[in-house]
Formats: sequence, C-alpha cells, structure tokens
Amino acid sequence: MGAASILIVHPDRKIQRTVHRILGGTGHGVDVADDVGQAVRLLSNLAPILVVVDGSAMASPSIEPFLAAAKVRGAEACIMLVGATQLEQAPRILSLGAVTNLLVHPMPVLGEELTITAQKLIRDDLFGAEKYLLWGTELHAATLTRASQRVQLVGELAEQLRGHGQSARVASIAMLVADELISNAVHNAPVDDRGTHYRADLARDAELALDGRHAVVVRWGCDGRYVAIEVGDAFGSLSRDRVLCSLAQSDVKDQGGGAGMGIALTYRSCDHLVFNLAPGKRTEVIALIDVRYPPTERVAASSFNVFVERER
Amino acid sequence: MRETRGRITVEIQGDALVIKGAIDETARLSELLDYAGGPLLALDLGGVTFINSLGVRDWIRMQSAAQARGIGLELRRVAEPLVHQLNMIVATRGTARVTSFYAPYACDACGREESRLIDAVAYARWLGNLQAPAMSCAECGRGMEFNDFPERYFSFLSV
Repeated sequence: MGAASILIVHPDRKIQRTVHRILGGTGHGVDVADDVGQAVRLLSNLAPILVVVDGSAMASPSIEPFLAAAKVRGAEACIMLVGATQLEQAPRILSLGAVTNLLVHPMPVLGEELTITAQKLIRDDLFGAEKYLLWGTELHAATLTRASQRVQLVGELAEQLRGHGQSARVASIAMLVADELISNAVHNAPVDDRGTHYRADLARDAELALDGRHAVVVRWGCDGRYVAIEVGDAFGSLSRDRVLCSLAQSDVKDQGGGAGMGIALTYRSCDHLVFNLAPGKRTEVIALIDVRYPPTERVAASSFNVFVERER
Repeated sequence: MRETRGRITVEIQGDALVIKGAIDETARLSELLDYAGGPLLALDLGGVTFINSLGVRDWIRMQSAAQARGIGLELRRVAEPLVHQLNMIVATRGTARVTSFYAPYACDACGREESRLIDAVAYARWLGNLQAPAMSCAECGRGMEFNDFPERYFSFLSV
C-alpha cells in the first residue's frame, strides 16, 4: 500500500486539473481516474485518505462497491461533486449513506468548499465557523441558559442582520435556520447514560433550564459572502447516520412529516450545512447562507458536510 | 376584532382574515377555520414574518381540517417565508388557491433588494412559463431582476 493520498474520480479533464490544483495544496499526493472502473483498479495500489468523486459516477453500477472498497483501504470520507445538471441525483446520493460530503457549487465557491473540507478532514480540526468566513470576520456569541431565550435570540439575530443591511429574505432564512438548530440542541441533543433523549418529547414552548451541559451556544457572523450561523451543544449525541438519514428524508418534501424534519428544513433553506460531530462530547452545526449579489455561484441545491472527530 | 394567538395576531379586514407575526408551536391555526362564514376563507398572509417546522405542521393540520370541513382557502399576499415552505413541502399547499404572493427582487444598478407583490392571477401565464414579471426599482427606477431560481420559487404554483 502506498503513502496516504487523495483519489479524484472525474471524467472531465479540465475539472480533473482544477480539483488536482486545489487539492495539491494539501501536500498529499493526488491520483486521478477518469471513471469508477479505473478508480477501482487504482485502488488496489493506493491508500487514499479522501476520495473525490463526480456525481456522474452515480450511474456506474460499481459506485457502491468502489466506495466500500475505498473505506476498507482507509478513506475517511467521500466528497462528491455535483454539477447543475446532476442535481436531481442528490436524493439518490444521500440514500447511499456513504457520501459524507456533497459539494454542489461551481468555481470559485467549489475551490473554497473543497479546500476547507479537505483540510478539516486531513488535519482533524473540525470545529468553528471561522473556517468558512474571511479572516477578521466578527462572530457574535450568545449562550442560552433557558429554553425560552430561543425566541428572543432568533428575533435579535434577524434584527441585527437587517441592521447590517441584509435583505428580509436573508433575515427570514437565518431565523428559520437558527430556530431549528437551537430547538434541536435544546430538545434533541440531551441524552442520559442509556442513550435516551429525555427532552425530545417535551413541548417546545415549555420553559426549561439549560444549566451545565444543557447550555446551548449560538454564534453568528457575516463576511459579505455568507451569513454563518453556528449552534453547539455539549452532548455529542447526533450521529453521522442520523444526519444522513435526516438529510435524505423524502417525506418532508411530500408530507412535512417525520423525525429530523428540522435538519431537513435547515438543509433545504441554506446554501451549505456543516455537521461537526465529536461523539459523546459535542455537536456543532454550521449553516451558511450565501448573500452575494448577483448570485452567480448560487444553485438550486445545497452542499453539506458531515465530519466526525477521530478518537484521540 | 383583533386576537393574539402565541406570536401571531389575527384580525378581520374586509373579507379576509389578516395574519401577522411568527407562526410556530403556539399558533393553533386550525381554530382559525371558525372564522369562515361560508365555504371560503381568505387569509391575508403579507405580515407573516417567520414559520418554523412546528408551525409548518400546524399549517398542514389546518389545511387538512379545511378540506375535511369543506372550506376552501384563498391565500393572499403570501409572504416569502411562507412561499419558501410551500415550495419545500408539498403538503403545505393542500387545496388552497394562491392569488398573490411576495417574491424577492434585486436591482442590478443600485443593489437594492426588495420583496415585491405579484398578482398570481393576472400573471398566471408568465408564472406558468417560469417567468418573473418585470419590476422597476423604487429607488433608481431601473429594471429589477428576480432574485431566486424561478423553477424553485414558482414551483408551489404548479400544483
């Protein structure tokens, strides 16, 4: 088995080169395959820590065995790139359960998303919205110590964004995202030693003390490109599989039902949703709302990342 | 008549029930059907500022209850946060008829962003072709661009 590397599977030479240049900056060797068949053959001599796969690979019957083999060979994550013409593949990609990182935006946003995603995975340095914002961007922070503070905080966030010149559209998306993420952190995150989510069934408008480990930390900021909203809890009970399952939920679209609806709505509302998971220790969710105008790099779909901290 | 229910206020204005504020777990929307004096209830939703996932569930329950009671809903001046949900979750549309709604526009010349009211009946053909009606900027008078993806933002009108 060779040294740790990154494997790119993409049929387009130009994009191969672009992605190669972006990921070459990580310092790892980069191998390139034109299709899944070639990637499978390469895999026998490689130990990729990351595989970056074009969405067109979903048409290959070998995609699932390939992803499974890459995992066996040590790949920590699969990053899938989905172009505008492949967006309808997103539900199927999600249903695979093996793709932990879906990047849907064209360049130059792709460059930003790919670099940050790869560096977080390689360095195992996952937490903090700062990684997605330009240097120097101020993040406002608040700690919720009572459940009823959610409404007030969400209102303040919207007012502050409007005060900073953001549109009503952006403020209303930010409100929805913040409300859902805080609600999840307050009610769904707390677990006892037996894994019971003991606050999940409590009425959302009931008052609760968020003392000690129950405290929820919210941070937000804007660098002129993105509004970032970060919500963290100290339980670390949200699992990778649960996230992927919630993102893939189809009954949200059809009936608005099912557990995890908050995550699904948040994903469909923002442009990029990031889950940083340290099992048993902490969970952090970051939602990014693209506020650039004209929205040349915005597409009618959202990127997501699910990062799980390695055991130390 | 003006009533406060959780974080929304409800008021009868002309032939419509005007709902303003944030629709969440406290709204109890199904009870609003009692305001229907006949087979049709018009809801003016221009003042809705926010709706979360629990508000969406409540909204879907109201739609189901309206169908069960034979009450047709006409949605007027539907605010952007609600359009967002109508587009994301098919069940929120029910059998309601949307006659007008707000949509995001932006001016390329001066950068102004604004939510503009679109008459869904008058512009039905345009909207059916996923074309946003032309709008002028209130600040500089130049043409404004529709500031979302037509295939996404107008999808709630296709059911």
